[in-house]
Amino acid sequence: MSTTSSADNFFDRPQAKSVRFITTPEGVQLPVELASVMDRLGAFTIDFLICIAIAILFSFPLYFISILGVSGNVLSALFNLIVFIVRYTYFVQFELVWRGLTPGKRIIGLRVIDRRGGPLMPSAVVARNLTREFEAFMPLMVLLSAGSLNAGNFGQWLSVAWVLVIGFLPFMNRDRMRGGDLIAGTIVVRMVTRSLAKDIANSEFHYTFTDQHLSAYGKFELQVLEELLRRHGQELSSHMRPGVSAAQAFKASMESKHMINEVTEKIRNKIGWLEPIAPEQQLQFLKDFYTAERAYLERGQLFGMVKADKHQELKRQEVPPTENNHKI
Amino acid sequence: MSEQYTPPPIYPPSSPPGSSEPPIAKSTAPSSKVSLRSSQFREEREKNWMELEFLIDRTEKGGIRSLAASELERLSVLYRSALSSLSVARSIALDRNLLVYLENLSLRAFLVVYGPRSSMTESLSHFLTRGFPEAVRSAGRHIFLAFSALMVGVFAGFFLVLQNPDWYSTFVSEAMAGGRGPGSTREELEAVLFPNPGDYAKNGGLIGSLAMFATALFSNNTMVGVLAFSLGIAAGAPTIVLIAYQGVTLGAFIAIHYKQNLTVELLGWLSIHGVTEILAIILCGAAGLMVAEKILFPGRYSRIENLSIHGHTAAQVAIGAMILFFVAAILEGFFRQLISDTAIRYFIGGATGLFWLLYFLRPKAEVKSV
Repeated sequence: MSTTSSADNFFDRPQAKSVRFITTPEGVQLPVELASVMDRLGAFTIDFLICIAIAILFSFPLYFISILGVSGNVLSALFNLIVFIVRYTYFVQFELVWRGLTPGKRIIGLRVIDRRGGPLMPSAVVARNLTREFEAFMPLMVLLSAGSLNAGNFGQWLSVAWVLVIGFLPFMNRDRMRGGDLIAGTIVVRMVTRSLAKDIANSEFHYTFTDQHLSAYGKFELQVLEELLRRHGQELSSHMRPGVSAAQAFKASMESKHMINEVTEKIRNKIGWLEPIAPEQQLQFLKDFYTAERAYLERGQLFGMVKADKHQELKRQEVPPTENNHKI
Repeated sequence: MSEQYTPPPIYPPSSPPGSSEPPIAKSTAPSSKVSLRSSQFREEREKNWMELEFLIDRTEKGGIRSLAASELERLSVLYRSALSSLSVARSIALDRNLLVYLENLSLRAFLVVYGPRSSMTESLSHFLTRGFPEAVRSAGRHIFLAFSALMVGVFAGFFLVLQNPDWYSTFVSEAMAGGRGPGSTREELEAVLFPNPGDYAKNGGLIGSLAMFATALFSNNTMVGVLAFSLGIAAGAPTIVLIAYQGVTLGAFIAIHYKQNLTVELLGWLSIHGVTEILAIILCGAAGLMVAEKILFPGRYSRIENLSIHGHTAAQVAIGAMILFFVAAILEGFFRQLISDTAIRYFIGGATGLFWLLYFLRPKAEVKSV
């Protein structure tokens, strides 16, 4: 099915380079999707703003102290203390109690997990937030004081260099880990909730296929067909959805029907199905073909025979399928 | 798997390979009932998945405490059955939606089942009674190395400034010197070491102490400590340099007091909080060196992997050092101003030193496994 050039673009799945596998203590490998640097920046910004709001709230008592006539230095020192305590307890407490989440991460849909699939240890949570002090808050202060940089102050330039190195660390390693993640052994992943859609395999056949028909395609094409049929189903039901105008829905369904027609013709040519299929029969034909193809390939897989896509031969699988190309 | 899957009739009729008959099929009325092995599998297990999903939804919204004890038990049973479903599905099913769903469900359940269960106070008390002392005990070599670096710095700073007072302004920044320098007279130095008791009220009393505590907490030393730990990622050399440089500053400081014959008084003044604070700096340095060691000598793992396995101990040492800095700041803010007798200062310094020694080295037999 040449309607799709790349699997990554077609499926609603993440780019392969941001997928990692963790191994649960039970020995099952589960894929996780790494969070993008921009997502993490967004989550941090939200958390940062919440922290400021909390710190300001807690700083109201300082106002009464200031009436007592305490010098500005004392007040700013106390304010610093409050800000420090708030931002530190905020991150640690949330990541512990919410199991790797902070309000910002929750809103964006991110989560901190152990890189190797173990439990997220309290010490890891504390460690990754301790270094945050030097990855986020110190750089922020350096940026704020950037105006007062002078060429003679070696220390300040050193800290600017430090900020650059640390700031770019997530871009420089494959797992997008910042310094705190490196030390604590954690990664930040994107969490989505998937729902189970209806099985689209038919229970009744109108069309029957032979091994010869079915051996033309492999697992990849089968799953592309699955996706196509699922999307078609969604577009038909989009009439019901609010916010979709009748014209839009009609256009979408026309495009979808056009696609169905195109794919049917392609499959017919490929497998050598001579009899033409009437337009109203095409969906039935595709569903039957999907079911038959899936049964054929699943039976093969059960006996260790795998055909990854149409370019490959049905062949015996040497080892259990290891999808762990990116070992961490 | 104990379940038995009877092979369903598959896409009948299937013509034998090589049959000469051209494959022409006719569209007819529904011809045959078919049930896919993977569909059957799904039907049998689907109810359990839904139940698990329901439980996870609830914990994701209301926390693990929103589940009753029986539901918790059910959760772990269902989690394991979801994992086994996934393993089976991976070998028998090609329904992508099903596979993706099961992977997602297993991951979400995994995060609930293996999430940290302790609150901040629980993990803090566990850390203070067990984690921290144990981590420090295991870091002996690194502590020795950091201590050596500090001492080398102290001697270098001391003798350099003694020989040539010009070095002083190079080593000690103006803010840290607080007006004290090689040109200071004995009286000026004494004024800092032994503040007038009347000054306490003038500096704001208790609130002044609190402010001083806060200032001390964010002083140079704390920052240096955390930096020394964080720079461990850069293979350790910056950590050593940083620790040694702290020593140099201290040495330079001692040198100007030595010239005015105030060494004993200075060390008393420093010891109140200095014993704790210097220990904290050494521990931070040691933690940085532990990180560096894991990166430099990864052994059979990759560098990053090795760090994630052993990084916890280093992190624990550094976190504990932060607590020491906190204690040091309290001592500095509240006691240093109030106590101006050198003997009592030494006593407090010695007592804190003894306390830390006992805390870190107390017999392991006390520690019982949970």
